[in-house]
Amino acid sequence: MKTHVNVAAAAVAAAGLLAAAGCSSSSSSSPSGSGGSVVKLSVLTGFTGPDGPSYQALVSQFNASHPNIKVTMDIQPWDAIGQKLPSEWATGQGPDLATPNFDPGVIFTYIKTNSVLPLDSAVGAGDTQINSSAFPSSVTKAFTVDGHLYAVPANLASVALYYNKTMFTAAGITDAPKTSDEFVADVKKLTLGGANPTQYGISLADHQTIQMWPILQWMNGGDIVGADGCAAVNSAASVQALSTWAGLVQSDHVSPVGQTGADADTLFSAKKAAMELNGPWAADGFRKAGIDLGIAPVPVGSAGPVTVASTVPMMVAKNTKHKAEALEFLSWWTGKTAQASFSKQSGFPPARTDVTVSDPNTAVFAQALPNARLYLAGLPSSSQIDSDVYTPMLGQLTRGADAQKSADAAAKAINALTGCKS
Amino acid sequence: MTTELTSDLTSVPAGTPSWVVPVLRSARSVARVLAWAVLSIAALATVVPFLWMLGVAFRTPADLYADPSRIWPDHWTFAGFHAVFTQLPFLRLAVNSVVFAGGTTVLLLLIDSLCAYALARLRFRGQNLVFWTILLTLMVPFQVMLIPLFLTVFHLGWLNTFQGLIVPRSVSALGIFMLRQFFIKIPRELDEAAKMDGAGPLRIYWQIILPLARPALASLFVIQFMALWNDFLWPLVITSDTDMRTLPSALTLFSSTSGVDHAALMAGAAISLAPLAIAFLLAQRFFTEGIAATGIK
Amino acid sequence: MKRLNPAYLFVAPAFLLAAVFILWPIVQSGWMSLHDWTIGEDSHKWLGFGNYTELFGDSRFWNALKVTLIYAVFVVAGQVAIGLALAQWLRRTTWYTMLLRSAFFFPTIASLAVTGIIWKFLLDPQVGLVDGWLGKAGISAQAWLQDTHLALPALIVVGIWKNFGFSMIVLLAGVQGVRKELLEAATLDGAGAIARFRHVTLPALRPAILFTVVIGTVNALQLFDLTYVMTDGGPLFHTESIVMYLYQRGFVDFRLGYASAIAWVLFLIIIAVSVVQLRMLRYRDDD
Repeated sequence: MKTHVNVAAAAVAAAGLLAAAGCSSSSSSSPSGSGGSVVKLSVLTGFTGPDGPSYQALVSQFNASHPNIKVTMDIQPWDAIGQKLPSEWATGQGPDLATPNFDPGVIFTYIKTNSVLPLDSAVGAGDTQINSSAFPSSVTKAFTVDGHLYAVPANLASVALYYNKTMFTAAGITDAPKTSDEFVADVKKLTLGGANPTQYGISLADHQTIQMWPILQWMNGGDIVGADGCAAVNSAASVQALSTWAGLVQSDHVSPVGQTGADADTLFSAKKAAMELNGPWAADGFRKAGIDLGIAPVPVGSAGPVTVASTVPMMVAKNTKHKAEALEFLSWWTGKTAQASFSKQSGFPPARTDVTVSDPNTAVFAQALPNARLYLAGLPSSSQIDSDVYTPMLGQLTRGADAQKSADAAAKAINALTGCKS
Repeated sequence: MTTELTSDLTSVPAGTPSWVVPVLRSARSVARVLAWAVLSIAALATVVPFLWMLGVAFRTPADLYADPSRIWPDHWTFAGFHAVFTQLPFLRLAVNSVVFAGGTTVLLLLIDSLCAYALARLRFRGQNLVFWTILLTLMVPFQVMLIPLFLTVFHLGWLNTFQGLIVPRSVSALGIFMLRQFFIKIPRELDEAAKMDGAGPLRIYWQIILPLARPALASLFVIQFMALWNDFLWPLVITSDTDMRTLPSALTLFSSTSGVDHAALMAGAAISLAPLAIAFLLAQRFFTEGIAATGIK
Repeated sequence: MKRLNPAYLFVAPAFLLAAVFILWPIVQSGWMSLHDWTIGEDSHKWLGFGNYTELFGDSRFWNALKVTLIYAVFVVAGQVAIGLALAQWLRRTTWYTMLLRSAFFFPTIASLAVTGIIWKFLLDPQVGLVDGWLGKAGISAQAWLQDTHLALPALIVVGIWKNFGFSMIVLLAGVQGVRKELLEAATLDGAGAIARFRHVTLPALRPAILFTVVIGTVNALQLFDLTYVMTDGGPLFHTESIVMYLYQRGFVDFRLGYASAIAWVLFLIIIAVSVVQLRMLRYRDDD
């Protein structure tokens, strides 16, 4: 019978497949041979999206200039990495190097579980060493735990103000806003259409994004968590900034509510918003979308120039079989040549303070770095603060909740998470 | 081809006055046309999201953002497909997907149907226990089993191998349950007849039950193949060798928090969807046969 | 010598695979739920039922439970009702019904991630298709996924859209298997189309309906991918399902023990619901 034959054939095929497959396993890293044989390193990163090719290009450059080391970069989404990396490293499997998450706060967990190597032995001023003194101090601080450096910045970016020049001209505004007051005024002027705007003054996102609202607080001298680990989100300066901007969103409709970073980008790309706070990665996409693009530094508030910085930690697995080569890779990655080359290719500023940037578009982001702060830096509970407290607070504020009350509730929750006893 | 009763059009309730009958018939015609129209519109509405997706695969970013709600491109481009084929080792990924999804599904159909047959037809001690145990396996989300399962496969030495990829997924409670429900409906008289000819349970299974279960097997094949084809997380966890990656994991390469290459993403999605659509259309033939068609000889 | 019941041989491969690769991991996760478990740590602190008592007082868990139950009830009811209606109307096989059936089944084929991405774009209030077309019909644009009242209903609609084709196909096999003689007998007795459906087709469909309801419920209660991609549990936790919350605690906060406890509570809930459904739809009857 026809079905009979088909199923039988399929079963035989399946069995044959399994038998053949039994011999087809491939190991993930080859043993390091003596003298002359190539050492294979594996790196796992989360740089999906349009960024990916720039990082791959950097890896190819390394391989070309280091004939005895071959690095393969595997790129997976961040959440997939989060689900498999801990168990892989715990069982002695897994890549030699990895960027476990875009959030620097993740290093604490991997340090706690003893899965990563301290990098101190490779730190120094030489060309084949990790020049940690050339990193922005906020970055070095974020990656140093108990006096040991555990990660290097795989990238470094700051946030600037993107704006649509056509819309600005149409509204009669000649330049991007430079002060906080101009910012507020322009944002109102550029919102057209009343309660259901046809054009928004700014495209703000409050979750699944590089955080923008902290900038608005910092501009006014506010903060989320102070240097002492205690909540500062309900300080007078913070609450003033939060209520100003929440009011702008609620009453003046300057931005849609509840956008993700991707939503915010889409809105700006679709020419429905005049401004957006974003990092260097967005420039290319916006130009391709046909926007007459302007990039300016974030407006300056009463607290002086400030913006948010983002950096992704790259760490070395504790049970890597090729410690020396892994450290060499990190040293090269953060070295002057690599960073200059990467910056040119990707539009990101270099992760070093001693490399100059010629491209004017990248220069805006590089110049902002000295005043750029990391969001929730150095806090082991940063991801919880972000998802459980800060982001919901923003969601409530932009939907009409009272700023002081929400901030006070948030402060209480933050203190519970950081263990602050104020 | 199933034979259907003479259509509803000619049957009227007994006792209807004769003048009403033609009115009733034309009302029913209108109702039928209306019903078909509604169904057709509903079908179109159901697939509109995919038409949109296909459109995006051919659009430039400028075109997409100019009017994202338009379905057809204004400016056609192959850049999306180009990105998919150049940035991914496409053939390798497709082969891996076919081996994983196809191999597992075939094995699964065999194992599931054997078990379902026993549960539907044979009496044995502990059959309720077996049924419930199998059903229980559906009730825990994969995220939670992920890490213990990874450890089990690791201890078996099956990480990064095809058997590690296929064997743990070769049993499906969904399949067993579905086939059991279907087998139950097959008339027992057919079994009795075969038994009187001296057939044991294996022959009954192979020669009577399985052929009659073609619609259910075909449905299960499509559903399981499609679920495995789209499975992103499992192959990712079990394989670290990039040579063994399957198609879905590669498609995640085109989106990130720092930007989405929409044309490439949708092109990849469309390419990944195509074999499934073809498999479904081919399997459609099997859906048409009901077990009642065989009758009782 | 007592002969081994051949049934055991039929059942053995499935049972063995399920036991090693599914049940054993479930048991292991139960073990993890009794500890404060971070992957990779050398030792894990024993908590007994500590995670479970914490769970009991966790308001975010109860919110997730509420969201999940609402989603499950509406999606299962929707997908089965629509699937049943379509299976009945499209039971005859012509080229046109095959075309329609394919259209209705198509959403089932796409992966959840791609579905979520497409729908997120379609439901965007500024640039999406849905609001664009509603606008042409004179209805004002709604922020479907950003509005706390609309997000869950929107998610439910997408859930039904994704699944009704599957129900339709399963029920179709059942509808086509209804014995012709019974339908003919009913017609001769003067039964109209609706009466025939209620008294002949529907009872014959009981095994298929049972299957699709139970499977649909089990799937719906484990909602994750769709909401992860479309709303990430927002706005303000209004679409956060249990598995989403579990994922947050387990893989973002790295509290795998707590996440396992959540999973086990969900597990027990699913078992309870399934037992009720199987009893109500009398799964043991072979008629």
